[in-house]
Amino acid sequence: MTIKTNFFLLTTITLSISCLLISTNVLAESKKRYQFTNKEISVRVTPRSPQQMAAFYEGRGFSKKMINALIQPCFFTVGIHNKTSDILWHDLSTWKFTNNNGEIKNLNRSYWTNKWEKMKIPLAHQSTFRWTLLPEKLDFRSNEHEGGNIILPYSINKFTLKAAFKTKKDKSGKLITIKIENIQCKR
Amino acid sequence: MQTLVLKYLFSCLLLFSLSSFTAANSKLPEPPTGILQLDAYQAPPIILTDIDGLKFNLNETKGHWVFVHFWASWCGPCRKEMPAIQKMWDKLKTQGLKISLINTAEDEDTVFNFLGIYAPNIRGLMDRDGQVTEKWKPRGLPATYLVDPAGQVQYQALGGRAWDAPTYLNFIKKLIK
Repeated sequence: MTIKTNFFLLTTITLSISCLLISTNVLAESKKRYQFTNKEISVRVTPRSPQQMAAFYEGRGFSKKMINALIQPCFFTVGIHNKTSDILWHDLSTWKFTNNNGEIKNLNRSYWTNKWEKMKIPLAHQSTFRWTLLPEKLDFRSNEHEGGNIILPYSINKFTLKAAFKTKKDKSGKLITIKIENIQCKR
Repeated sequence: MQTLVLKYLFSCLLLFSLSSFTAANSKLPEPPTGILQLDAYQAPPIILTDIDGLKFNLNETKGHWVFVHFWASWCGPCRKEMPAIQKMWDKLKTQGLKISLINTAEDEDTVFNFLGIYAPNIRGLMDRDGQVTEKWKPRGLPATYLVDPAGQVQYQALGGRAWDAPTYLNFIKKLIK
């Protein structure tokens, strides 16, 4: 084998290993999620990158101006599973997001509805967008899974999520609380 | 005059059969896992057209149980559930069940392509601006409701269900018998 061939082989092997390492890292990164789970509830928070969100909404035919508005903040897909044998009450208004600077207000449905109205976004796209959001209130039935996105203003800082869920039909049951720390926006 | 009398008699008959259904309401069967029996309420209106422009009005299905289903192509569980709905429909469509398969806020091409693959024999209705879906206030997508012959929403399914499984087929059969 000539020196030239050896050099070529070495370069190829090095490049292949680098690609493998990079793709594994990308995969690990894309699978990164935050979770709270116990015998009563499971809450999973998966950060989404602007690219992921842009691709999703472009696929639904959303306009460029709508996409531009959607790639600025941080998206998290939340999945909730009620593992109790009773009703579990979800109320997004009781969810608290905090970082070193204090409380972060999530960009809720009213925020987006106002924004879309001002931007004269077609009702069909407004409707599709709303269906991708986490419901603001829901009486989770036993073993029910539901989910959707929550949206926070962009921040480089990690934040903590605290939430509380009332239980039983008349909301008189045990209060279930969750806390998930060090959640980070995906960029 | 004769037509008027006939119309009057027909209306009385329809009212009588609907009120008999309401009276018998308390005897509705226990639903299987994943289906909630609701405190019955009047179904919100559904007046939509299908991909071919043919009109569907929920009011015109009175006298039959109606399987009302909301879906969107981007929703993963909808893709999983739709073939089961097609199989259920293949088995029950001649037994008196009506179906209202409503796409939420997507365009004709998307609906045509999706149903062509997952439910080719069901007429898909277009909720073009998503406003009919909004009025039904589903818990999420997919969402299924069972509306009784008097136009009352009696049951709601939680998420996607295996509608072609014997448990669900037998439950719907009990309703429509």
